[in-house]
Amino acid sequence: MATMTNPMELGELTNHFVVIHPLDDVPEEKVDTENLGPMKMTASVRISLVSLRAYLVLMMLMVFYRVLDLAGLFARHG
Amino acid sequence: MNNKFVMAAAPGVETEVLPVRGRVVKSKWAHNLLTFLMVFGPGLIVMVADNDAGAVSTYSQAGAQYGTHLLWIVLLLLPVTYFIQEMVVRLGIATGKGHAAMIYQRFGRWWGLFSLVDLELVNFLTLVTEFAAIDLALNKLGVDPCIGVPLVAAGLVLIAVTGSYRRWERTVVFLCLLDLLWFAIAFRLHPAVGQIVRGSLIPGMPPGGLTPDLMFLVVAIVGTTVAPWQLFFQQSCIADKRLRFADIQWARLDTFLGACITITVAGCMMLAGNASRVHGFTFTDPAQMAMDIGTFSSGFFKNAILLMMINAAVLGTTAISLSSAWAYGEIRGWPHSLQLPLRKAPGFYVVYLVSVAAAAGLVLIPRAPLQLIILGVQVLAGVMLPSAIIFLQLLLNDRELLGEHANKPWNNWVNWTIIIVLFILSLILAAQVAAPKLFPAA
Repeated sequence: MATMTNPMELGELTNHFVVIHPLDDVPEEKVDTENLGPMKMTASVRISLVSLRAYLVLMMLMVFYRVLDLAGLFARHG
Repeated sequence: MNNKFVMAAAPGVETEVLPVRGRVVKSKWAHNLLTFLMVFGPGLIVMVADNDAGAVSTYSQAGAQYGTHLLWIVLLLLPVTYFIQEMVVRLGIATGKGHAAMIYQRFGRWWGLFSLVDLELVNFLTLVTEFAAIDLALNKLGVDPCIGVPLVAAGLVLIAVTGSYRRWERTVVFLCLLDLLWFAIAFRLHPAVGQIVRGSLIPGMPPGGLTPDLMFLVVAIVGTTVAPWQLFFQQSCIADKRLRFADIQWARLDTFLGACITITVAGCMMLAGNASRVHGFTFTDPAQMAMDIGTFSSGFFKNAILLMMINAAVLGTTAISLSSAWAYGEIRGWPHSLQLPLRKAPGFYVVYLVSVAAAAGLVLIPRAPLQLIILGVQVLAGVMLPSAIIFLQLLLNDRELLGEHANKPWNNWVNWTIIIVLFILSLILAAQVAAPKLFPAA
């Protein structure tokens, strides 16, 4: 195994394969997500998200009730 | 394989400006193997870390109560967990960004912050359960948790703050491979092969039929195998490792191998629980199960199970803490990479450190409400999972974002089926824990 300090001529690599670790490679161009902005929502996507919000509210209320229950707020006295 | 380091120009980049370091091999086979080994990591880690302390407890309890009867459910979860994480692979490679950033950018501030707060909360509570398991196992090993727990926490911080993604990954992959000891444990406990094959391949109910307790356990098995933090972790990990489009097939293989290992290890945990049941022990927790197994096998197995419990908790902790730190960094716009030294990404490392330190510290407080925390984890995971996978599915259908890497129709059929089943199970679990009076028989 040898370490080369100068770039190897690519011509020398005929019939050879160069494997580069992703962290050693030049960063690849990806989708420019910042300029895409928010997703365009179809009616079905919007309905999905509203349903999800309703589900989350319901679950949170249930959790809140359980916490109060555990805290003994609904315990019968006497 | 004739390997040597070379400096070769990346396509379209001037050599003088950005040289890249590579290795030269002569055969296509060696090229594929080496490429896979370089890409390998995030898929294995996310899957094996999923078998965390909670999973050890759930799977061993399933084996201790129902023997090999629930093995088929675990096997059924192999394609489920693979398909979900495969979507994460495509999303991570195509965008080069984490899951939290994607939700924030594509669904807006409200959903972005909601996902972040929910993730951070459920992650923190899960971390407390990981350290509770470490505390329990150390106790049984005769180590004072007041010394052992801070040492483990310090080790967890040290492996992450080296400023080298590769160093962290190699350490964690080594810990993942230690998990293979579960195979030896299960094998040496002399399980009945016929029962294992039958239990794995023929779906059926355990004697006693479908009781609320069984339903609860099944939901817990599903919940522990597919966890919300996994989506965030693997996508951020792929982004941090800078995987390329050409790496997709290898990242899929990495994920598939990880899924196979985690599912078979889960089966081995069930077999350990089954061995204690066969010898007449009643399951209380995995540490006690290890002590019970020690009474009818060598002390090596007792210690091995306790150490595997600690290993599972350590893997879970590093992955979960990192998913928190990455997500927080993505939303806040802070530098967030394991490749960066501490001084260049202080916020990222502080979130990691605080997550680990606070969870470890909480466990050491006498009479900390651990039961309440475990309950909270189950409920919040139930709340989080459906929303996380719905966002994932919507993002994977976002052609503007993913182009050719977006879901195909067959992907959608498979994924929506998985999502609906997970949604129902999560709802049942969360409702059963949050409002047990709705299920009086439980």
